[in-house]
Amino acid sequence: MSIEFSEEEEMIRESVREFAQSKIAPIALKMEETKEIPRDVIKGMAELGLMTCTADEKYGGPGLSAVSAGVIAEELAKADCTGSTCVYYLVPASWGFLLNKYGTEEAKQEIFPKNVSGEWFLGIATTESDAGSDVGATKTTIKPDGDGFVVNGEKMYISGVREAVTHGGGHITIAHQTPERGTRGMTTFYLPLTAEGITPTYIDDLGREGISCGGFSIDNVKIPKHYILGEENKGFYIIHEGYEYARALISVICASAGLKSLENGINYIKERKSFGKPLAQYQEINFRLAEHYTKLNMLRDLGYKALKTIDLEQEGKVSRFETSNIVAQAKMFCSDWACEAINDVMQWQGAFGYSRECPDQAAWRAVRSFSLAEGTKEVMKMIVARELLGKKQY
Amino acid sequence: MRFIVCVKQVPDTTEVKIDPETNTLIREGVPSILNPFDQFALEEAIKIKQEGDEIIVISMGPPQAKKALLKCLALGADKAILLSDRIFAGADTWATSYTLTQCIKRIGDFNIIFCGLQAIDGDTAQVGPEIAAQLGIPQITYCESVEKLEGKKLTAKVQTDDGYKIVETRLPILITGITPSSFEPTNPPMISIMKANKKPFSTWNAEELGGSKDNYGLNGSLTEVIKVYSPPARQQGVVIDEETAEIAVQKLIDLLSKDKVI
Amino acid sequence: MINVDKEKCTGCELCEKACPFGAITIVEKIAVIGDECTLCGACVDQCNVGAITIQRKKIEDVDLSQYQDVWIVAEIKDDKVRKVSFELLGKAKELADDLKQKVCVFLLGDNVKKFAQDFSNRGANRIYVAEHEALKDYYTETYSSVVTGIISKYRPNIVLYPATINGRDLAPRVAATLELGLTADCTGLSIHDGLLLQTRPAFGGNIMADIICPATRPQMATVRPNVMEMAPIQDSNNAEIIDIPVNIDLQGVKVKTKEVISETTSECGIPVCEADTIVSGGRGVGSKENFKLIEDLAKVLNAAVGASRAAVDLGWIPKSQQVGQSGTTVSPKIYIACGISGTIQHLVGMKSSDIIIAINKDPEATIFNVANYGIVGDLCEIVPLLTKALEKKLSEN
Repeated sequence: MSIEFSEEEEMIRESVREFAQSKIAPIALKMEETKEIPRDVIKGMAELGLMTCTADEKYGGPGLSAVSAGVIAEELAKADCTGSTCVYYLVPASWGFLLNKYGTEEAKQEIFPKNVSGEWFLGIATTESDAGSDVGATKTTIKPDGDGFVVNGEKMYISGVREAVTHGGGHITIAHQTPERGTRGMTTFYLPLTAEGITPTYIDDLGREGISCGGFSIDNVKIPKHYILGEENKGFYIIHEGYEYARALISVICASAGLKSLENGINYIKERKSFGKPLAQYQEINFRLAEHYTKLNMLRDLGYKALKTIDLEQEGKVSRFETSNIVAQAKMFCSDWACEAINDVMQWQGAFGYSRECPDQAAWRAVRSFSLAEGTKEVMKMIVARELLGKKQY
Repeated sequence: MRFIVCVKQVPDTTEVKIDPETNTLIREGVPSILNPFDQFALEEAIKIKQEGDEIIVISMGPPQAKKALLKCLALGADKAILLSDRIFAGADTWATSYTLTQCIKRIGDFNIIFCGLQAIDGDTAQVGPEIAAQLGIPQITYCESVEKLEGKKLTAKVQTDDGYKIVETRLPILITGITPSSFEPTNPPMISIMKANKKPFSTWNAEELGGSKDNYGLNGSLTEVIKVYSPPARQQGVVIDEETAEIAVQKLIDLLSKDKVI
Repeated sequence: MINVDKEKCTGCELCEKACPFGAITIVEKIAVIGDECTLCGACVDQCNVGAITIQRKKIEDVDLSQYQDVWIVAEIKDDKVRKVSFELLGKAKELADDLKQKVCVFLLGDNVKKFAQDFSNRGANRIYVAEHEALKDYYTETYSSVVTGIISKYRPNIVLYPATINGRDLAPRVAATLELGLTADCTGLSIHDGLLLQTRPAFGGNIMADIICPATRPQMATVRPNVMEMAPIQDSNNAEIIDIPVNIDLQGVKVKTKEVISETTSECGIPVCEADTIVSGGRGVGSKENFKLIEDLAKVLNAAVGASRAAVDLGWIPKSQQVGQSGTTVSPKIYIACGISGTIQHLVGMKSSDIIIAINKDPEATIFNVANYGIVGDLCEIVPLLTKALEKKLSEN
């Protein structure tokens, strides 16, 4: 192990692992059929303190570091081949981080206790049909309206819409408050999905079946002033911190899911014989195993480094740009490398690898989403290039 | 009140595997855990604890045993003491109970001592009663649960061969054998883990413990293990898988008769 | 002290594999012994080149010859001698014969002298009787002080206790009071070089350990029921009976029994720890009502009814009938496991049964790995048929 974890982080790992292996692993593939995470699993996650774990202690959160949050993500990924609980955990963790840092006291008092108890989902909803990587192309608008604001627009390809609509909760989102100023006129705010004027739609996406994918139209939805995060019109600058927290967690999740698949693969190739010898003895197979293992360990290291950098930034020891840079590096290849590894594990298993009984195909479909979720790999390359070449030149 | 809980870090013997070629134990990769019975004992202490009461967990072990004690702090103990010294190594139940007794004497006053039923590696269930004997206090073994604690009077439910009995005693008392009250041992939540590190943790060596050095560790042990080996592996026998229950049962009866089992 | 001769060591790794405590690592082709070493000697036995040596401390010459005879502490229950007492007697006789010493029985309780003849008939040489009405019920405080006192006075060489609930409460108390070594749950006892060699399982039954008490007397051990052979009834034997006057005042007893509740569902009245045959039910039984199927089968076989932890936790059967790591460890001749998957915690409690028969719906259930006979099927169908068939078969015999 190149990374050393503190005793506290080891205890967190053990506690989450025991829970994940006994309560999540046995029902993981079932979620593909039921299309939801069982409520008692969510309750268990909440009781353990995993839900919106970045909420401050005074709202009931455990006050974990980003590295600790990564340890939790890693263990969930080992246990859940569908990635559903990983997403259900990482999204509230990341956007709770943002709400914690920039939300009003009133909003936090209102929202966090319900997040931490597992009752309400806390999501992120910035993507629209015509605006993904280019957040500035958002068409949704927010306008002052009496004491509060009124929002109009639509969001698409959002995780957790059904969960928030059914059980309560909302999503952090961004909209143009002063459209003529472009990205300098955008506001980040909390949008409750149970509000009047929200009409949800649902999409059947490729994986992470236990958590829903959908969208919603926003028709004159009124929100109170205390739901604004940070300052009005300055939303574009703060929202990236939420993305980055998520990206760092995602890097660790991809590494963990990939390494778990490799473990499945190793067990298989040691046993399975072809033409008189175990598959493990074929160089084509064991060389690939070695390559994937090495890359995924590199990814894991970089993912934890990114989380550590986020922690250091909160302490003022590292700049915003440095964090963006390292996080982008960690996320750049995470999905590709994990997908390549898992794809090979599926291949080694032949026809079984192509059947829905095989956990690795679920893991592939989950990990595939991370080349676009919370920031595409292309945007990661833009970020790193820009850091290297300078904004003006690039 | 002050409760002292004796705990041990043990290899997870449910994870232990036998090498099929040599028929010996594979020790690598076996995780070390807090002895589950000790966790049940601690959880019972936490259950009866009231405002102002103190729970101290103590353990004799190598430095790595700190992890088990931290888990106890995360579960709800207030203070932890690790007895760690090269000289404690190789102890049998006598030397172990002697060492723990010295620690308890050094702590001073106490009301209840809880010990787990047995360690899942040693399986002897002797250390608890041996501590009680050395402290000269009464003991309740096979105690499933504490039913009531009123002032200095304790009522407990004790296992018997064909049921249970209710006993009453005055404190101080040593209790062993608390059985799990729920399906699985509970894992400490994140908040408790974060708090655990801030609770008092001390490590005492033989010097600080005092007592007679001749009674510690291998030197102080009165029993000696002279050989350790693997028991013969149980082989899988006949598995009957027939179309109807009638045929299956008849086949079994025939086999049992043939093998003179019945 | 343990030492590795670096010249002799070839780094062959046999010792590393043999060590049950993970204390050996091979560093640059030499065995290195770490802190976890308990001097059990498994590595010394494995090494082909004699590179590992252990030096144990020297035992001073205590006049151990003053300690003579093999004793057993009998257990009386419900005004009857518990079967395990005769099993202890059987083994004690073997040991005494090897040592050319006497085999003695320590009988304590209320109105127990009448049992002395049973022990005499089975070959005991001497029976010490401590009778007092206050000894009618077992209390740690009363029994341990009597046993401790008698042992100090009469200086037996070996004392065997039954590893029953009472025995496992009493023996360590006596041992610590007298600063004696004690070995728990022995499954094997023999004389080796004049010493009692005690064999017992550890690590949940995954390893066996041979243990001696070289320096202390008496050498003491607890022995599980149903493991040793009962001492057979002999033609004639007249044991010496020695009365030991004891004076017990229950006022001084601190732990008082308030209520005793019996709640077993076994008709045979034999607790699982002693039963020759056990029929056990697990989660697969499905409900409390369905346990009747298990009870019916047990009745036909005059067996005790046992259960896995799952069935107990679900409230289908009392805890005292639980078999397993957190229940009772049993060694019956026949163990029938119905609807029990075979978790390690359960196996720990029953895998030393002579014959295991398993009935389970799931052909992959781990219980089949240890069963001599297994039937794959629905126990709700199989068990009633089995009960009928066995009833018929047994009445024929």
